[in-house]
Amino acid sequence: MRIALINGSPKIQGSASKKLSERLKCICERRLEQIEIAEFGFHDTVIAKEVLEDLSRADIWVFLFPLYVDGIPSHLLSCLIQLEETDFSKKHIHAYGIVNCGFYEGVQAEFALKILQNWSVKAECIWGSGVGVGGGGALSQMPQIELGHGPMAPIDKAFAALLEEISKKEVRENRYVSIAFPRFLYKLSGQLGWRKMIKANGKKVRELGNRPESR
Amino acid sequence: MKLIITDLENFHVPVEGEYKIIGPQETIKQCVGCFGCWIKTPGKCVISDGYEDTGIFMGRCSELILVSRCCYGSVSPFVKAVQDRALSYIHPDFVIRKGEMHHKQRYENIFSLSAHFYGENVTEAEKETARNIMAANADNYDGLVKGVYFYKTKKELEDVIL
Repeated sequence: MRIALINGSPKIQGSASKKLSERLKCICERRLEQIEIAEFGFHDTVIAKEVLEDLSRADIWVFLFPLYVDGIPSHLLSCLIQLEETDFSKKHIHAYGIVNCGFYEGVQAEFALKILQNWSVKAECIWGSGVGVGGGGALSQMPQIELGHGPMAPIDKAFAALLEEISKKEVRENRYVSIAFPRFLYKLSGQLGWRKMIKANGKKVRELGNRPESR
Repeated sequence: MKLIITDLENFHVPVEGEYKIIGPQETIKQCVGCFGCWIKTPGKCVISDGYEDTGIFMGRCSELILVSRCCYGSVSPFVKAVQDRALSYIHPDFVIRKGEMHHKQRYENIFSLSAHFYGENVTEAEKETARNIMAANADNYDGLVKGVYFYKTKKELEDVIL
């Protein structure tokens, strides 16, 4: 079985989607035998021809991407349209989705996963299931933590269950998880982070609320 | 002021009152998730391609109207790119609204949100997703949904008054 992990973040490096992809790959290598993982990056609006050819050799497509305005980032939406319009006998390909939200609640990814599910129907893929991950803002800064431990533990558990389903090509309900970290601390640390970053850019904290004029 | 974001190059939909249209006259660049619109040029996108002021226009509008092809229950890539690039409309700080985490408002305006989707073969599942996403958008913008409408062709839109 060949699984394509498709990183749909616009960021080439340092994204939460990349972090989740690495985590999923790690769990997969430990738990499942006879699985080949192929990694892809959809960082732009167009998928190259050779990437399409490589994708056609996979049995499973797992899309990992950030939640943008309750939905799918615009460039990834363009890629999905291109996939739908490409004829490469994808009728037997199973599609899964992992969406990371900057908000604490993974359930806020519900409708982005629904878009992916609707796309699966039109692209003649078989929709498997998805995971909505809350607390995505903390993921890219998190140190390497052993699987099943620390703030990533609920995500690891959801990924292990997802991989079990993938290995059997099962269709299940979506799962929604948050990092194992209190919401009020996540909120506080996020806000402290913005203050630190704006100061690092030579601005004052009060400028976070600027209301600039248009040209 | 009504702010209309549309993927229609030739926009022939009648509009009542004062309005501004943001359409695909220029090539839009995608949001790259840099958060520069919060920490480098707060309130304005750092990518200068003619679409960097959308968040500012949203801060002045009383109604946000999306006119778009329906893509799997989402707006089209162009309209979504404009929405993604308007992250600056909201403030980076978090608030809890209806029990969920959202962003604080940067501006004081409260706008209503309307969406007019066109396209053949839009399924019932896609329509339901589109309605749910507009409701979620309204929660995030701290606004209200005025209506979500579907048309089979672009031509049908010409009979609508926005």
